[in-house]
Amino acid sequence: MANNDQRMTGTEEETDAEKLITTDVTASLSREQTARTEESTPVIEARDVDVYYGTEQAIDSVSLDIPEGRVTAMIGPSGCGKSTFLRSINRMNDLIDAATVEGELQLRGKNVYDEDVDPVALRRRVGMVFQKPNPFPKSVYENVAYGLEIQGKDGDYDEIVEQSLRRAALWDEVKDKLDESGLDLSGGQQQRLCIARAIAVDPEVILMDEPASALDPIATSKIEDLIAELAEDYTVVIVTHNMQQAARISDKTAVFLTGGVLAEFDDTAQIFENPASQEVEDYISGKFG
Amino acid sequence: MATETGGEQRSEDAGFGRVSRVRGRVFQYLTFGASLFGIVSLAVLLGYVIWDAAGLNTAGPAWYALALATVVAPGAAFVQYARRRPQVKSAAIELFAIIVGGVLTGFALVVVLAVIAGAERWFVYFLTTALPLAAVYLYSRTAEVGWGGLALLGVTIGGPLLGSLLMEPVSAVGAYIGSPAIFYLSVLVPTALLVRSLVDDRLGLGQGNNAALAVLLLPVLAIPVVDTVPLVDRSVWVIFAATLITPVGLVLWKNLSDSRRRAGLVGPLVLILGLGALAIVPDMLNVAGPSPWFDWQYLSSSPSQTAERAGLYPAIIGSVFMIVLVALLTLVLGVGSALYLEEYAPSSGPMGAVTRLIRINISNLAGVPSVVYGILGLAVFANTLGLGFGTVVTAAFTLSLLILPIVIIASREAIRAVPDSMRDASYGMGATRWQTIRNVVMPRAIPGILTGTILALGRAIGETAPLIMIGVATTKFSPPSGLFGKMTAMPMQVYTWASYPSAAFQHGVVAAGVVTLLIVLLTMNSVAVVVRNRIEQGDY
Repeated sequence: MANNDQRMTGTEEETDAEKLITTDVTASLSREQTARTEESTPVIEARDVDVYYGTEQAIDSVSLDIPEGRVTAMIGPSGCGKSTFLRSINRMNDLIDAATVEGELQLRGKNVYDEDVDPVALRRRVGMVFQKPNPFPKSVYENVAYGLEIQGKDGDYDEIVEQSLRRAALWDEVKDKLDESGLDLSGGQQQRLCIARAIAVDPEVILMDEPASALDPIATSKIEDLIAELAEDYTVVIVTHNMQQAARISDKTAVFLTGGVLAEFDDTAQIFENPASQEVEDYISGKFG
Repeated sequence: MATETGGEQRSEDAGFGRVSRVRGRVFQYLTFGASLFGIVSLAVLLGYVIWDAAGLNTAGPAWYALALATVVAPGAAFVQYARRRPQVKSAAIELFAIIVGGVLTGFALVVVLAVIAGAERWFVYFLTTALPLAAVYLYSRTAEVGWGGLALLGVTIGGPLLGSLLMEPVSAVGAYIGSPAIFYLSVLVPTALLVRSLVDDRLGLGQGNNAALAVLLLPVLAIPVVDTVPLVDRSVWVIFAATLITPVGLVLWKNLSDSRRRAGLVGPLVLILGLGALAIVPDMLNVAGPSPWFDWQYLSSSPSQTAERAGLYPAIIGSVFMIVLVALLTLVLGVGSALYLEEYAPSSGPMGAVTRLIRINISNLAGVPSVVYGILGLAVFANTLGLGFGTVVTAAFTLSLLILPIVIIASREAIRAVPDSMRDASYGMGATRWQTIRNVVMPRAIPGILTGTILALGRAIGETAPLIMIGVATTKFSPPSGLFGKMTAMPMQVYTWASYPSAAFQHGVVAAGVVTLLIVLLTMNSVAVVVRNRIEQGDY
């Protein structure tokens, strides 16, 4: 496969639209969010995870616990390795020959990099939504049913497709054009279609790699509302380049800094109101990044 | 490309100044001139060949006047009429395309099924391979079972094996029922089923059952009439009933029921009547017409020392036989290796270096002169493996080697053009590599793969040098008897004729051979284009 490294770095540009939504970061923290973080069992535990692309180190000894049924955000400047870390969780990095992962990355207590773990089976439990909406050139229905078909799931596909589209807040817009191409939808609809496709197979964890960075403000806010709803049933891990977005939607925030170092990982409120290190405070207050 | 900067030249009156486009303009006209030169010289060449093949030099002015009156003027009048009526135009083009396509498909089927394979052998493989394939495909599509793909693969491999094992008894049955009945079962009955679903579902005309019944019964009822026509035996009739008469009937029915499109049918009708008149009237009036070299006699007889009796039949059959094998071999091997190189082969580490070496070498192989492949074929296939000198199978293997690099490169490009975001989406859903290739990569890559394969096959069918190397005969008087039969090919025969001293050979017979070659090539390409367009339509 070609161009693997190209899609890793991606274009982490912040849309003006996202900046417009809110500038006062701490104001957007809700009290509910801070309350929810208290009781939690970790579903993903990382212990001293290093990721290398060839000889270049992209992630440097990262350890963190991602709580169940919460939204965990990963923020940091461009090229800090947050997307790389996300892709390590469902072993999408395996598709890149040069990438190697060291350390322990556990999903419910099982190291996903153990010899006996099948990455395909792992990805069936850990769904993923990508930065650029990437529906298949198939009909809306076939897009959502794709995971069901390849995983050979039983059940009433019509029912599951409808449920998934409803949960992705897309049903009302596409219920009359299920047979039309998924590519004919608008960008925001395409991204919600991709989310519907991911939740149709009922994964345990949903990884989102800057899901709103290619969308306009209205589509972005729809996606953000959707993520908040999804957090009721799923564990969501979201990489974002937009600090306001992280503050609005996440319960926990991990701040990565250049060199793939995890600078800080704590409750979102804590990170944004009272960061422990000067570097993180500088980043959050916009002095760099 | 036409914006060269020349910001220095500032005109006094306008405040913006001017940007020079001289170099851009010159470049634009140069590219236009180059393409014009290419197209015009090709057109002149083709016109020259067609002029010779049709023997237009013997036609007098009176014949041209007749041609103008019967074909050109009515045709031009219709074109003028249809220009502003899109419905009429599309109906006329539809009927015209169906007629041409039906004739060419009919000939292709007759050549491949009746002449090359032989009715009885075709009957065996129809029962063991084609029929089970269709059944499994249709069943797995309606019932959505998981084992469909595997079963298709099994039938594809097992069917021909079983067919070879059962060849004796089943072909005896085939011989008993006779070749018209075989083609009735294997060609006309599937056509009738297709017509039923087309009429009911796609065209919405209703009466699908009646239409299918008509397709099945009318050709049988027409047999007494057909028996009186020379040159057309019952097998040929049955095949053409399926490829030409049924589609034409469908198009007529569909367009006649639509009042806005009805007038479009006049166009092809006028053309056919005009051509018919042009064939008969000059003889009646004693007007000197053309004496075409390219005619039925030419297509259906063997080579001869006299130009008037010379024919290309053995070479046509040899070339088509060979190219069918080449197409099968290169599609399977070429797409297979392209898929492996793009989707499976490691791209880093020590094995990655091997992969890169293979890729570079395949690109180099595409540029190796065809004579070299001829020597290779002579050494490996003819001598070492003992497949025989100048046999169909040796020629097919050699030409497959020749075009494999081209097919692999084109297929790799098509596979690489599938965006990685599609693969990511599929892998991210927990698809295996095979599921991703099957559901995401291949559907998008097939049109590009077919385009590359068409171009490569065009090269293969025109090759002579490797054929000379492996000892293909320059002239043969009967078509190849089978896979291991000696053959000749169209370009070989044309080349031989070109060296004959008489002008009749050098101009007429050779030109007719070139025209035949082009028509075979065109038929092949149109089949591939139709397949490709169907796939692209299925894609969203």
